[in-house]
Amino acid sequence: MPAHLEIIGARKAFRTPEGGTMTALDGISLKLASAEFLTLLGPSGCGKTTLLRTISGFETLDDGDIVIDGVAVTQMPAHKRPVNTVFQRYALFNHMSVARNVGYALEIAGKSKREITARVGEMLELVGLSGMGKRSVSQLSGGQQQRVALARALAGKPKLLLLDEPLSALDKNLRQKMQQELKSIQRELGIGFVFVTHDQEEALTMSDRIAVLAHGRIQQIDAPSVLYQRPANLFTADFLGESNLLPVTLDGMSAHLADGQSFEVARPSGKATLLLRPEALAVTPPAGPSLSFSGRITQTYYSGKDHQIALDTGQLGPLTALIRTGGTPPEIGATVTLHAPAHGLHLIDETAA
Amino acid sequence: MARRFLTLYGLLFFVFIYAPILLVVVYSFNANTVNMMIWSGFTFDWYRQIFGMETQVTESAIYVDSTDQLYAAIRTSLTVALSTSAFSTICGTALALAVARYRFRLAGFYRTLLMVPMIMPDIVLGIALLIFFITIGMNLSLMSIIIGQSTFLISYVFVTVSARLAEFDTSVEEASADLGATPAQTFRKVTLPGIAPGILGGWLLSFIISMDDLVITYFIAGTGNTTLPIHIWGMLRRGIKPEINAIATLMLLFTLVIAAIGLYFRSRRQK
Ligand SMILES: Nc1ncnc2c1ncn2[C@@H]1O[C@H](COP(=O)(O)OP(=O)(O)OP(=O)(O)O)[C@@H](O)[C@H]1O
Ligand SMILES: [Mg+2]
Repeated sequence: MPAHLEIIGARKAFRTPEGGTMTALDGISLKLASAEFLTLLGPSGCGKTTLLRTISGFETLDDGDIVIDGVAVTQMPAHKRPVNTVFQRYALFNHMSVARNVGYALEIAGKSKREITARVGEMLELVGLSGMGKRSVSQLSGGQQQRVALARALAGKPKLLLLDEPLSALDKNLRQKMQQELKSIQRELGIGFVFVTHDQEEALTMSDRIAVLAHGRIQQIDAPSVLYQRPANLFTADFLGESNLLPVTLDGMSAHLADGQSFEVARPSGKATLLLRPEALAVTPPAGPSLSFSGRITQTYYSGKDHQIALDTGQLGPLTALIRTGGTPPEIGATVTLHAPAHGLHLIDETAA
Repeated sequence: MARRFLTLYGLLFFVFIYAPILLVVVYSFNANTVNMMIWSGFTFDWYRQIFGMETQVTESAIYVDSTDQLYAAIRTSLTVALSTSAFSTICGTALALAVARYRFRLAGFYRTLLMVPMIMPDIVLGIALLIFFITIGMNLSLMSIIIGQSTFLISYVFVTVSARLAEFDTSVEEASADLGATPAQTFRKVTLPGIAPGILGGWLLSFIISMDDLVITYFIAGTGNTTLPIHIWGMLRRGIKPEINAIATLMLLFTLVIAAIGLYFRSRRQK
C-alpha cells in the first residue's frame, strides 16, 4: 500500500523580530499509511503546529516536499489540498448556523441543496448532534462546538484530517469521551489522522504511532508501546512518562551500575543509560535474577491505585517507584528495598542524543 | 457626601449637553410667532410651513418662499451624502483591509496619514480643497463636493472598519480556505460578514457627517449647489424664525433614526 502522506526533508525557518531566524522544522521526514492515526507529541514550541500548517498549506516549506496520495502538494495553495483541519480554537463561522458550518465545504464545492442537507444530517449524527443543525454556533457548549468543528472538517470527505490539540479546551471527562469517539470515527471512516496533543496519556491511548518531536526534529516515531518501553534516546525516555535513568558502563558481556550491581547484556563496551520505569520496581523480589535498590523514602503520593514514592538510594541517586502496598501506606523516612527483574531491561546508547 | 456631589455633577452634565437641544425641540411646537422664548400654546404650524401646507401664521413670521428651496437643498444633500458615503465606505474599507492584511514598509506611517484628515481643522481643509480645485481647473459642482467630502470621510470609515478588523479572528479565514474556498469566496462568505458591522457603522457615520457638514462644503460648493446645512445657514442670516426649530428637530429625528438602525444591526449581529 502506498504511503497516504509522505513528508520528505521538510524544513522551515521563521524570521524572528529581533532579526535572527528560528528553525521550526529541521528536516522532518515521515510516512503515514492510509487510515493511520499518527500523533505528534513534543514540548511547546517544537514545531507541531508548524508541521500541521505546512501540510494544510498555510505555511510554505523552505525545503522538502509533501506528497499526498502520490501527488506532490508542496506548491499547492491551501484551498486546493485534499486535507481538512480541526483547529485548536475550532474557528467556527459564528454568523452561520451549525448546519451551514458543517455543509460549508460542500457549499463551496457547489453541491446541490439536497445533497448538502443529506450529508450534513449524516455528519451531525456521526458526532452526536442530530437535530442541532438550526442552532447558532455561539449557542453551543465547548464540547458541542468541538464536534461541529469535527463534523465540518469531515463533511467534505478529506483524504487526511489534521487535528491541532482539538481536545485541549475540554474538561477531563468530556475529553476522555471525545478521545474514544474520535478514535472510533477514525476507524469507521478509514482516513488518516494527524493529531497534535500535549497530553501524553491521550497520545499513548489513541495513536497507532507517535512521532516525538523536539527542536524541529523527529526524535522517534513508533507505536506507543515501543516508544514507552524502548525509547531510542534520552529525550524520548525522559519526555514520555516517568522514568529512572541510571548510567551504566558496558564491558561487552554485562552492564555495571554505579553501586556494583550488574546484569547480562549483549552490547559493545562503552557507556549507556538504563531505563527503569517506576512500575518495574516492586517490593517483592521476582523469580530469577534481579536488581535491588535500598533507600529511604523521601516522598509519597497516593494516586488512587498506587503509591508513588521517591526513594533516596544514596549512591544511585533518587529513584521513583510505583508500588502497590495493599493497604498500609509507605511512610516517609522508612527504609525499603525494591526489586526489578534483571531481564528485558532497556538500555539507551549515550550517543543517541 | 461625595456620592451626592457626583449625582449632582452627573445631572448638571446632562442638562448642559441636552438642554439646548431640548429647547429647540420644545420651541418648534411653540405657537408664539413673535417671541419663541415665551410659550403661547402648542402648534404644528412650523412643520406645516416647512412642507408648504396652509398655516395661520403671518408673512412676517416666516421665511418667504423657502419650501421649494428647502426641498432642493435636501435633495442636494441626500445626493451628496449617498454618493460620498458609498464612495468613502468602499475606499475606506479597502484601505483598512490593505493596512491590516498586508505587510509593507511604513505601514504605521500610512495608518497615521489616513487618520490625519479627521483632526485637520475644517477651515484649513476647506481652503485647501478650494485652492486645489481651482488649481486643477475643476468647476465647483456636486462633483467637487463629493470628492472634497470623501477626502476626510474615508478616514472615518477607515477607523471604524480597522477597529472591527482588529478584533476579527483571522483563523476563520484559514478555516474557510482549508475547506476549499478560494480567496474570493472566503472574502465574500467569511470576511465580509465578519466585518459587516464595522462597514455599516462607517457607512452610517460618513452619511450623517456628510449630511451635516457645513464648513468644508461651504468652501467647495460654489454657487447653485446648496446643501441643507448651507441652506439653513442662509436662512439664519435672514434672522432666526421658529421654522428653524422645526427643521432642526426633523434633522435630529432623522439622525436618531439612522443611529438606531446602526445600533439595531450591531446588536443583532452580536447575538
Ligand atoms: N509565524 C511565525 N513567526 C515566527 N515564528 C514562528 C511562527 N510560527 C511559529 N513560530 C516559531 O516556531 C516554533 C515552533 O512553533 P509551533 O507553533 O509549531 O510550536 P508547537 O509545537 O505547536 O508549540 P505548542 O505546543 O506550544 O503549540 C516556535 O519557536 C515559534 O515561536
Ligand atoms: Mg501548537
